[in-house]
Amino acid sequence: MAGKAHRLSAEERDQLLPNLRAVGWNEVEGRDAVFKQFHFKDFNRAFGFMTRVALQAEKLDHHPEWFNVYNKVHITLSTHECAGLSERDINLAHFIEQVAASMT
Amino acid sequence: MVSKLSQLQTELLAALLESGLSKEALIQALDEQGPYLLAGDGPLDKGEACGGGGPGELAELPNGLGEARGSEDETDDDGEDFTPPILKELENLSPEEAAHQKAVVETLLQEDPWRVAKMVKSYLQQHNIPQREVVDTTGLNQSHLSQHLNKGTPMKTQKRAALYTWYVRKQREVAQQFTHAGQGGLIEEPTGDELPTKKGRRNRFKWGPASQQILFQAYERQKNPSKEERETLVEECNRAECIQRGVSPSQAQGLGSNLVTEVRVYNWFANRRKEEAFRHKLAMDTYSGPPPGPGPGPVLPAHSSPGLPPPALSPSKVHGVRYGQPAASEAAEVPSSSGGPLVTVSAALHQVSPTGLEPSHSLLSTEAKLVSATGGPLPPVSTLTALHSLEQTSPGLNQQPQNLIMASLPGVMTIGPGEPASLGPTFTNTGASTLVIGLASTQAQSVPVINSMGSSLTTLQPVQFSQPLHPSYQQPLMPPVQSHVAQSPFMATMAQLQSPHGERPAPHAGEGGDGTWLSMGLSVSRTSVSA
Repeated sequence: MAGKAHRLSAEERDQLLPNLRAVGWNEVEGRDAVFKQFHFKDFNRAFGFMTRVALQAEKLDHHPEWFNVYNKVHITLSTHECAGLSERDINLAHFIEQVAASMT
Repeated sequence: MVSKLSQLQTELLAALLESGLSKEALIQALDEQGPYLLAGDGPLDKGEACGGGGPGELAELPNGLGEARGSEDETDDDGEDFTPPILKELENLSPEEAAHQKAVVETLLQEDPWRVAKMVKSYLQQHNIPQREVVDTTGLNQSHLSQHLNKGTPMKTQKRAALYTWYVRKQREVAQQFTHAGQGGLIEEPTGDELPTKKGRRNRFKWGPASQQILFQAYERQKNPSKEERETLVEECNRAECIQRGVSPSQAQGLGSNLVTEVRVYNWFANRRKEEAFRHKLAMDTYSGPPPGPGPGPVLPAHSSPGLPPPALSPSKVHGVRYGQPAASEAAEVPSSSGGPLVTVSAALHQVSPTGLEPSHSLLSTEAKLVSATGGPLPPVSTLTALHSLEQTSPGLNQQPQNLIMASLPGVMTIGPGEPASLGPTFTNTGASTLVIGLASTQAQSVPVINSMGSSLTTLQPVQFSQPLHPSYQQPLMPPVQSHVAQSPFMATMAQLQSPHGERPAPHAGEGGDGTWLSMGLSVSRTSVSA
């Protein structure tokens, strides 16, 4: 199991979240999660992106909450075990960034 | 053969393959699934099939993954480097990363080389990456690389592939900037150090334009910041550098070798203060020297740049005009006592140059170091840069013969870089020749020409120097000076000044010679020289 499932402390958040915020991940109101919307050229690319993320999610055993309509993908990351953000979310977010970057 | 895949199929297949699925495993799975699926003949077939449709990258993936060449790295390295593989398998995030990189490289290769070159160049500038790093890892020739990136000189495909592969890999630096932040080494390879195994050396730190701007503004406010203020500046600069690179400021560690630290800020301020002292000294000398006239006025202001006036430096600086020359050797000889005169001369010289040049580095730095050894006011390293740029920018400045210092400075500047080669040989033993050139032009005096100089002197009038100038003083003024005769007085002075320092044996008594010089027509009552 990749990464720990413990909720991120305030310090860790200060360290890790700015990176994600800089690329567009925002904190969700009302819950301890991060959210981002991705936009692709067409459905194929969007789904290709989702496939890659899905395969990685399986590998990490950490899955995103997401929504897809044609070329848009909305992803929300949170860890169920700790009811909030954990290292796994950060890892997955970074991976998602890499994949998204390679898709565009 | 398989029929063309739909785009989605291609995408999904790419995703599958990128996720670490090897071709063989996929084929096996397919075989188990049923024969009606894609034929599992061989990697090549798959590659072709996949390549038929969908993004180009897909075509690359199967090839990349399918080639049973052992490690992914080997494939990558062969493409990127003509020498043994630079990267180890460990460096790649995963096989999918390698495949992805190859795909991107292929895409870049299909594009217009000049456009990609511009992209790569701007990336290098944005992240302040020295070309040397690229050259070291790709095995390309630096000159060729530079020309390709700056001027569009054609580069063969294989070499471009190496360059693009480096580029794609270097972009992992950006990813690392993210991952390093809090995750502490998710990625193994630190950004600044591209190949720890190859060379345990980080790139030389270089100030970025954004940081420099911040520092100059701070310098104008206060020349001597306290430790707290310096630390504040460190934060500010790192933030600016991160922003320039499009990265969150809290991931400053990703700057690697270009990370701004308090020590660097401290050194920067120290160097600027020295520069200013030097410039001040030059100004003082100029005004105290021969009637400055309008020359120094316009010259000085023209050249003074915000914050980069180089402080007067010992004579070795004069040499500095010639860039790329064996400055070190010259400087080495000079370090002896430069006294006031030399300093002033050089100060004048330098004053003109530092127009806003950045603290330079290269050859001048060696001289700078030597100069410091002498103990006199040392021109900061940046002076050298200034000189260099100065000379290019102010060719026409030296119009006043009388304004020896100022006028000559421009002249000197222009002369300098032009003729390093000629200076050497001509110097044989008549450093004076240099002076001759300068002097002759303005002074038409009764100075006997030093014939030993050779061709460069032909047009000059006789100039008499009691002491032979040392060849080591490569006066950049030499040959190209013709047009800047006005500078000769200056040059003469410079040369004169130089000589005392050099290895010149006896003539150093040169004080006498100096007197000659001075009387010569320089009309510079440089009493200090004789001191």
